[in-house]
Amino acid sequence: MSLCIYGQALTSRLLIGSALYPSPEVMKKSIVASGSQVVTLSLKRQNPLARSGDKFWRYIQAIVQQNQGFLLPNTAGCKSAKEAITLAKMSRELFQTDWIKLEVIGDDYNLQPDPVELLIATEQLLADGFKVLPYCTDDLVICQRLYALGCQVIMPWASPIGTGKGLMNPYNLASIRQRLPDATLILDAGIGKPSDACIAMEMGFDGVLLNSAIALADNPVLMAQAFASAMSAGESAYIAGIMQERQTAHASTPTLDRPFWHHPEQSS
Amino acid sequence: MKIYINGNAFELPHSAEPSHIDEVISKALPKNQQQQSFALALNGNFVGREDYHHTKVCDNDSIDLLFPIVGG
Repeated sequence: MSLCIYGQALTSRLLIGSALYPSPEVMKKSIVASGSQVVTLSLKRQNPLARSGDKFWRYIQAIVQQNQGFLLPNTAGCKSAKEAITLAKMSRELFQTDWIKLEVIGDDYNLQPDPVELLIATEQLLADGFKVLPYCTDDLVICQRLYALGCQVIMPWASPIGTGKGLMNPYNLASIRQRLPDATLILDAGIGKPSDACIAMEMGFDGVLLNSAIALADNPVLMAQAFASAMSAGESAYIAGIMQERQTAHASTPTLDRPFWHHPEQSS
Repeated sequence: MKIYINGNAFELPHSAEPSHIDEVISKALPKNQQQQSFALALNGNFVGREDYHHTKVCDNDSIDLLFPIVGG
């Protein structure tokens, strides 16, 4: 089975960020260990006299090429549709990709996406030929609107960015999966543990995007491997078909031909 | 003429003709900076590299130069 992003098939369902690692070497080893083929990155101002981003740029290009992967630029830090659109266009030119992880932040406290600005930006970017991967909350109607605009991929949050709180609202996420069966759904942000990613995959999500959970682990490379395993387990469980939860106990062991100690009336 | 690059003010010599983006870059940025990978916005609007030579920059205009950086 493969993950499909706007027609591009990928063998790994894990998308990984490039930030917060203790060193570039650990970042590289973690990305490779995760098996991910999609690496997120960004654009930021630098003081004209400061160190350039070219070293990082060459480094990340080499990693992605080694994994036969793809870059996914984001619009982190944007607070309006206009800012996000401008940044998306700058990213397309520099990174030579029309994929964009669209972030429009509406609140500084929890970095919650602004749904109104997100929809405005999404519509304009799609019209401009971008392949938009919008980062949104777990609001079913917003996801439906994004899908109706033409987003083939939608990325609701598990919980606020960098919190590691896992799936805050499993009911909401399950509803989105149920109501948008044909959309590629990638759970983005708030993942803390491999079990969170496993649960998302068990629920039928198509993929998971994360950064902090790996980069901030004591051993990021080992944690990347753990996430890869968890994703695989969750996907297999979903395909295998999870049993229906039941309200009452049911004996697993056959009750026919019970041995003598269950027939006290026969003993004397 | 005063322009702002990433929020920092740069004084450029006045000339009879308005400067274009590529001229401003060559005058305001050190050589090593010019050779790096960046994308540019003028007053908050993206300008493609192919348009640098004919996009005019006026007094008090603001240029943003953005560079690749890690991201999640």
